[in-house]
Amino acid sequence: MTDNNPNDDILDERIRALAAAQYHAPEGSVPRDAMWAQIAAARRAARAGATTDAPARDADVVPLAPRRRSRTVVFGWGALLAAGLVLGIALEREFLHKEGGTTSPLPVAVLPRTDSAPVATPAESTNTDSVRGAAQPSREATPSPAPKSRDVVQPRATREYAVTEPRALPDVSDSTVQMLYRTAAIQTLVQAEAVLTAYRGAESAPRDPQAMQQAARWARDVLSSTRLLIDSPAGRDPQMRTLFTDLELVLAQIVQISGTPLQARERELIDHAMRDRDLLPRIRSAVPAGLATS
Amino acid sequence: MDERELTARVKLGDEVAERALYDAHVDRVYWTAYRMSGRHDLAQDLTQDVFIRAFDRIQDYRGDAPFGAWLHAITTSVVLNGLRKVKRFDQREAVLEEAGMVTSTNREAEPDLKERLAQAIEALPEGCRVTFLMHDVEGFTHEEIGAALGTTAGTSKAQLSRARAKLRIALADFAGEWVQ
Repeated sequence: MTDNNPNDDILDERIRALAAAQYHAPEGSVPRDAMWAQIAAARRAARAGATTDAPARDADVVPLAPRRRSRTVVFGWGALLAAGLVLGIALEREFLHKEGGTTSPLPVAVLPRTDSAPVATPAESTNTDSVRGAAQPSREATPSPAPKSRDVVQPRATREYAVTEPRALPDVSDSTVQMLYRTAAIQTLVQAEAVLTAYRGAESAPRDPQAMQQAARWARDVLSSTRLLIDSPAGRDPQMRTLFTDLELVLAQIVQISGTPLQARERELIDHAMRDRDLLPRIRSAVPAGLATS
Repeated sequence: MDERELTARVKLGDEVAERALYDAHVDRVYWTAYRMSGRHDLAQDLTQDVFIRAFDRIQDYRGDAPFGAWLHAITTSVVLNGLRKVKRFDQREAVLEEAGMVTSTNREAEPDLKERLAQAIEALPEGCRVTFLMHDVEGFTHEEIGAALGTTAGTSKAQLSRARAKLRIALADFAGEWVQ
């Protein structure tokens, strides 16, 4: 072990040179912009978290582990919020539903029932609105003061009604639900910004279909949250609603991307939609505004 | 703007300064991660984690050492932890794959030098491998390696010596022609 072979230095140098040249040698370029998009989004999310966590920090709560704001965590958190959002909307619709059945002046179409007319089955009545449809059977199972001789047809009207003539949620859960919506809205906007930035990064390297495909995948996740938010109390703010509607359009266009190099026409459409609507600057300015109100 | 000023501005939350620091160091971080992992996707994820962690902990950076050295200590820690997780996952996958096939690796044709070199480096114990790559390939000093791995410069020298000896043995077939 201890005897030194005079050739060892030559061999070591040869191995070192070979390893430097051949072992996982740098090839290609560093995807700076794509990585920066993720880092910036994570930093932004961390700052947003720091702002909302401020009272907790004042109370000297020391985090056990450093925050890891990778894209998985950011989107995982987003998925959690989206789940909460779905629950919130379901609850809200359930409340509206019950009130509409008793005292609410909801514009519900009431059709006189004739004996020959077939009774609408739950499956038929759920064609247009699956969330409401899910609540329908249980509602029918409970005694209702509504006259049984009529079929209450509840079409898509509820969606438009909820938007144009907002109703207050019950006092008990109002603040909690509002806070949930607001947090979900901010989180979705943060994610949307990351997606749009990633799309731009991927677009600048059109030979990388994988990056484009990834942007499309993220866009799909954010799109579902955006649609839910448009229908939620967060969408009652006209400014937010317009922003979410514009965002929905652009995200839907990005989702269409198949992963193959973008056609010039597709790219032009998406770019035009983003530029025309000032989407990224509006999202960026909406996030601190949303935080301030929270 | 020098690096001291940049780090001071990052501490105040300046996003432009963050980007400037990122631009100055991302290549080295990325290629170190790639050199250790051999995968671009992993290198990308690890690089992102390195910078996110560095910016999160920027208040801990006192400025008494170059920012690059501080950042590379984080790089090493993040990369090694990331690789351990991947290795555990790969081992589980390998066990599943091996269960369904008869091994015949030793009967294959003699791999060429590049493959033999890669196999020899990957067969090194983790400490030796990391030290060899950081010192002989990436050009870190023993002091920097010791700081990054939480050991001493002496330990780093010993690890490098062991790594070189193992590589010489593993590549002994080629020694004759190299010496000539």
